[in-house]
Amino acid sequence: MTFILKIHALPVGCSDALALNEQAVYRSSMKTPVSVLRLPRGPEPNSRGFDPSSPRFIALCCSSSSSSDEEEQRLRSELRQRFLWTLSVMRDKLVQFDMHERVRVRARFGASDIDVLRFQVSDLETPLGVQREALLRCQDVLSCSFEL
Amino acid sequence: MALHLVAQHCSWECGSELHNPPRHVIWPQSTGVCRCFAVFARSPVSMAMRQTPLTCSGHTRPVVDLAFSGITPYGYFLISACKDGKPMLRQGDTGDWIGTFLGHKGAVWGATLNKEATKAATAAADFTAKVWDAVTGDEVLTLAHKHIVKSVNFTEDSNYLLTGGNDKVLRIYDLSKPEAEPLEIAGHTSAIKKALWCNNDQQILSASEDKTIRLWDKNTKEAVKTLSFDASVSSMEYIPDGEILVITYGRTIAFHNAQSLDLIKAVDAPASIHSASLHPDKDFFVAGGDDFKLYKYDYTTKEEMESYKGHFGPIHCVRFSPDGELYASGSEDGTLRLWQTAVGKTYGLWKCVLPEELTSENSEVLYCPPAEIKA
Repeated sequence: MTFILKIHALPVGCSDALALNEQAVYRSSMKTPVSVLRLPRGPEPNSRGFDPSSPRFIALCCSSSSSSDEEEQRLRSELRQRFLWTLSVMRDKLVQFDMHERVRVRARFGASDIDVLRFQVSDLETPLGVQREALLRCQDVLSCSFEL
Repeated sequence: MALHLVAQHCSWECGSELHNPPRHVIWPQSTGVCRCFAVFARSPVSMAMRQTPLTCSGHTRPVVDLAFSGITPYGYFLISACKDGKPMLRQGDTGDWIGTFLGHKGAVWGATLNKEATKAATAAADFTAKVWDAVTGDEVLTLAHKHIVKSVNFTEDSNYLLTGGNDKVLRIYDLSKPEAEPLEIAGHTSAIKKALWCNNDQQILSASEDKTIRLWDKNTKEAVKTLSFDASVSSMEYIPDGEILVITYGRTIAFHNAQSLDLIKAVDAPASIHSASLHPDKDFFVAGGDDFKLYKYDYTTKEEMESYKGHFGPIHCVRFSPDGELYASGSEDGTLRLWQTAVGKTYGLWKCVLPEELTSENSEVLYCPPAEIKA
């Protein structure tokens, strides 16, 4: 607990030289830091946020046609799930990639990164030879096909 | 409200007894005698409090841009653009995280909110600008560009979005007709860093790496005025109320008339400045840059009032909140920090604590930064 003390009136006969000295030291070095109720809340690790139970969300989000939204969401989830299953089944299979500029290459599929930006492949057959290990940029891939 | 405590000598020595705490304090004298002083709380006189910035963590890479919304019935909001590609929405007065806009596949260079904080727009290195629903966090629109997009700005009615980036062209998108081709305004000879609507959304201000700031007419698509500099402009802020343009370049913070582009005044800071913001009441402005510090200046006298350390990297952006009670800074260190305009005032998460409250058992204060005790 610190205070800035300023002597308002000193009685006659007091050792005022020392008191004033101490006063100067206190004033210059002791600024009380502003207190804080808590720190700002940070992001939740497993959620992108936008809490649907917040007052703002409830007030501003019209829940008209919620049933069709739910149906759409269900279909989207299903498609996403199928896509992810396809990627996992593709592992170690010989896959043909059709890319821009009529490029067609074949390779053994390894894995995809989390944002599906790159595919890790092995033994990539290119016009310049076979590349032992390679990364294919997903933006360049139009389609891929493989035998189940 | 800062407290200024005045001690008055009680006129008698009291040994080690404590009288009516905390109204009296025992102050040991070097003579070995304890004198008793009555302590009175006086009305606020001086800023005897030290600034406690609130750190908002969550980003993993440098924060390069930030913007506040207007004041809404739910308070005001803050969006931050980050090189990690995940812009975040926060409650403006507390810094509490609300949500993250997921979808960009590259560093996000610019972010903005509309006045009502119902829409957000972001500009990214993945060659797209995206429009988001700022309530649900859903992506509403992706606008493909031919190069890195650096800046996005809504009109007052949120119906049009202005974008600018490394392809040197300004684009205006009609958000009610997203499939339609945008209006294009060309002229800059280098990458556009910032593009803003001004003059009731009839004109556009753009700052570019070609070391110019140009004022364009939206309808004629012509440059009405051009300002040239010796160095590239690092930031630009438009204050509609008063028609002031705040520009930073090198170590200079300059204030121009937003319609004539005439210089009003300029101030030089101790270090290279990346961003500055003028308080809504136009009594002070804040600036931050390469030396990691935030500077506060008196706008009228141009004098430096305060400087604050806190960030661990260069400051890329700084903005005042719409009510002027705080300002936010974004840094290379990946954090956003909120700073009080009136240090010591009770606002948001900051609490003005009176001495009695510090000693009482019912204190609400859960966190008090340790005070420096110097012998």
